[in-house]
Amino acid sequence: MTATDFLNLLIAALLLAGTYAAMAVGMTVIYGVMKIVNLAHAGFLMLGAYYVYELHERLGIFPLLGVLLAFPAFFAAGVLVHWVLGRGVPVSDTPTLASLLLMFGLWLVLQNVGYLIWGTDDRSILTPMTFATIRFGEITIPKIGLVVFVSAIVSLAALEFVLHKTWFGRSIRALIQNRYSCRIVGIPVERTARLTFGLGVAFAGTAGGLLALLYPFSPDFGRPFLLRSFVIIVLGGLESFSGVFAGALILALVETFGILFVPSSYQPAISFSLLVLALIVLPDGVAGFVAKMRSRGAA
Amino acid sequence: MNPRAEPVGLAARVLRTAPPLLLLAVMAALPLFQLGPNSLKLLFLTCVWIAASVGWNILGGFAGQVSFGFAVFFGLGAYTTAVGINQGISPYLTYPLAAAIAALASLLIGLPTFRLRGPYFAIATIGVSEAVRVVMTNIDFTGGSSGYRITEHGPFRQAEHYYTALALAALAVGISILVRHSRFGLGLRAIRDDQDAAADSGVNPYAFKLAAHAIAAAFTGAAGGVLARYAAFIDPEGVFGFQRSVGILLMPVIGGVNTIWGPVIGGGVYGLIEEELVAKFPQFHLLLYGVLVMLIILFEPGGVVGLFARARRFVLRRRVASWQPS
Amino acid sequence: MSFFRPNFLHGLARSAVIVGLAAVPFVLPAPARAQTDIPVGVIMPTTGKEARPGQYQREGIELAIKQINDGGGIYIKSLKKKLPIREVFYDDGSENARSASLAERAMSSDKVIAVIGGYSTPLGEAESVMPDRYQTPWITPGAAASSIFSHGYQYTFGALSTVESLGYTTGQFLGWLADGGKLRKGLKIAMAVENTDHGKDYVNGVTKWVGQHPGYFTVAFNEKFEEHSTDFSGLLQKIKAAHADIFLSDAHLPDYVTMQRQYLQAGMFHQMVSYGARGPEADARKAMGAGVDYIFAGVWWSADLKYPQAKKFVTDYTAFAGHAPDSWYAAIAYDAMRILAQSIERAGSLDKAAIRDQLRSGDLKNSLVPGQTLKFESNGQAAYPFVIVQNKPNGKVDIVYPPDAATGPAVAPMPRP
Repeated sequence: MTATDFLNLLIAALLLAGTYAAMAVGMTVIYGVMKIVNLAHAGFLMLGAYYVYELHERLGIFPLLGVLLAFPAFFAAGVLVHWVLGRGVPVSDTPTLASLLLMFGLWLVLQNVGYLIWGTDDRSILTPMTFATIRFGEITIPKIGLVVFVSAIVSLAALEFVLHKTWFGRSIRALIQNRYSCRIVGIPVERTARLTFGLGVAFAGTAGGLLALLYPFSPDFGRPFLLRSFVIIVLGGLESFSGVFAGALILALVETFGILFVPSSYQPAISFSLLVLALIVLPDGVAGFVAKMRSRGAA
Repeated sequence: MNPRAEPVGLAARVLRTAPPLLLLAVMAALPLFQLGPNSLKLLFLTCVWIAASVGWNILGGFAGQVSFGFAVFFGLGAYTTAVGINQGISPYLTYPLAAAIAALASLLIGLPTFRLRGPYFAIATIGVSEAVRVVMTNIDFTGGSSGYRITEHGPFRQAEHYYTALALAALAVGISILVRHSRFGLGLRAIRDDQDAAADSGVNPYAFKLAAHAIAAAFTGAAGGVLARYAAFIDPEGVFGFQRSVGILLMPVIGGVNTIWGPVIGGGVYGLIEEELVAKFPQFHLLLYGVLVMLIILFEPGGVVGLFARARRFVLRRRVASWQPS
Repeated sequence: MSFFRPNFLHGLARSAVIVGLAAVPFVLPAPARAQTDIPVGVIMPTTGKEARPGQYQREGIELAIKQINDGGGIYIKSLKKKLPIREVFYDDGSENARSASLAERAMSSDKVIAVIGGYSTPLGEAESVMPDRYQTPWITPGAAASSIFSHGYQYTFGALSTVESLGYTTGQFLGWLADGGKLRKGLKIAMAVENTDHGKDYVNGVTKWVGQHPGYFTVAFNEKFEEHSTDFSGLLQKIKAAHADIFLSDAHLPDYVTMQRQYLQAGMFHQMVSYGARGPEADARKAMGAGVDYIFAGVWWSADLKYPQAKKFVTDYTAFAGHAPDSWYAAIAYDAMRILAQSIERAGSLDKAAIRDQLRSGDLKNSLVPGQTLKFESNGQAAYPFVIVQNKPNGKVDIVYPPDAATGPAVAPMPRP
């Protein structure tokens, strides 16, 4: 393989990593605060894709603007869902199977409502930008890939800003650390949890919209991305945000370069095997592993 | 008369075992009633799903380890039977073989994954199941993604398939009852309630979970084999797919997880909906399941059996309230 | 003395519920009826991944039924009268197990005389175990994998020529282009096919031609991909690295759209590009606009064929379905119904074995297919030639091969975008 081919692959992997990170962060936020594994994340990804699609088709709204508009819409939807489900989504210290199954049921409902409304064919969003490429000599970068990557990084940067520079963000981080201390300090736990759920769903919706620019989608759209999100947050450690970046990068690199060693038809198995391996070998994820190494070094 | 008095002794035991045996007798006699091939197929499928559902429940309900990846065992059982029949082995020998291979696979899968708890375990099982599916899609010997066909010579006797499935379902329910009332079952229940406390009490959670997994996998694998022989054509997406895992899991959850009869009811409901409703309204059944699951988790985690129990308590309360001591 | 027995009653209640549930389906009796029509089962996916072509095939069958019934139906000699055809339609949702189950239901309890079903190959394969089990003729207008017809089944018939000959015709077409000077000899071919019997057959066909004609092309890359993938970027990178001149893929509609989009986004280019039997579909044009220009496909039928019966079909179908025929789907299904009707008439009765014999021995002259005759070979599968069509700008499609059927020139190599 030539250097150009390698560079092309590397760039493809980096672009993919950014998108993956944006996709997984919604799930991380919800898990960190409420210890709920949000299987309905797949459903919200899918709805985000269709949201941007419908805005584009019916109102002619430019897809990137549609993605921006998805954020508040899905935030509101997330808060609403959390309010409706009420007692099914308690803030707890450990993940419960009841919440897992509840979110799973929600995902089934979302997916099949999607089928009812939009049918089963694949849709795609076609813009003049879709097939444009930027060339640096032998290296080609799809314009749309770059755009999505930049949008993903921007949204993640915004999240980091919120988490570190706003009171709301700090209360989220506090909740992740210790729920009881939050009550002592005066943080409204239930309200923060509800808003966090909304935040997580908002990220799912926007990520879905971004993904819709890259791939064709149908109501079953979320499933492969759901599994990839698992891999990322498990790799990254289910409670750490910098971990999400690490996990997304690892997954993207392994998926892109793994194909060289493995026949293409085995490609889906790469992420699944990585998932199982990660769960078993690195139960606290890469971030946890690094932290453990650091603490061991310090001791 | 005391409304809460229960009969004791031999009379009691006879009365307690009568209903399931009565049910079995009725089910066995059904084909004699000239039902028509579609109804018999429906009953056949119901029995297959009951076997898989009861199997899953031994791990997911009794032991509380929710697995989203039971399609692995279903598929392995299906392919074992399929390949076996094509190689000339009698179908009735392939079913125990299918169960054995599924149980063996469950050990391989359980050894690394049972170190994980709760949702982590559930997620890991999804990963394993999908990885196996992709591998099976690529193995040419079993036809790859195009599927595998069973060629059997001789006439197709639907009743024979039905009785096989019924026997398997009855065996599954029987084993389930035995496990439930045994020390092993008690250990599983302890693990479900609090694994660490169980370990402190002398239960080896790892070993118990592996054993439950093996039993569950065996029944699911055998169910897969029985279905494969009937369908005569299987493909990786159908038997190993995530949809299949979801289906196997939905049955006991809807019927009532962690009970004996919950998975049976769930299997019956699922079989009925899958065959009858799906033929007429293809896209509604998954929506229905999703709504059912959500309602059950929110309002009656005990499923259909839980609803019955609630009704019974209601009736009992009224009887107690109206009881006048003589 | 009475005593309350909660356990017994509870258990009995449970059993009653289960038996009651099981009793529901056969409380409804099957009505016995005098033969007033000819029930024909039609099993097509109108929901699910293959919904679009499935819908087209359904429309083709229904057009044929309508035309036959408008003439009073099929004349049955043994009953001395004409009987109309009654379509019994089932949607299998693009799921294999359901498709097989519906075929079984149609043949065993709904008592149809024959079944037309199975788009595409996986659905057809699942259904194909039922015809011999229930001794009911079954024609598939959408499943072309030869593996269905290599098991010695008696009641299975396929209206599509083998995918292997599709691959072979593709090779022939490329060779003809080389002979005509449009392509150089010695070019390299990269192949990426779906991981199914369909894909396997396609590869066999292409490599067979390449092997029989040394000096023309070499296959430099050949890999399989999983159907219904979302992301082909890795595979496409590998293909890029193979530095081939011609890209041949075999895919169904969803993968064709996904892969071609990502192909274009990766900035890739080959002198000729094909997706097997997919190319001119309207959905692809809608999803990619000019991105599908100059892609060629080997198809079982094209609306541009010059036969009068083909032209009449296009007119009738457009009026019936409200849109022009999209690629080959409806036309083949139409002829499948026509040959079934013809065989029923020739059998002179509704005896399924007799109908099967007529299907096996007869042929449909005046057929829409290339060559104008539809005939099932001894294994049940039809064998008629293919035409190669190529997408042209602005939504136009031309037949480019064989030369005597061509409606426009073959553009080779493709112009760079």
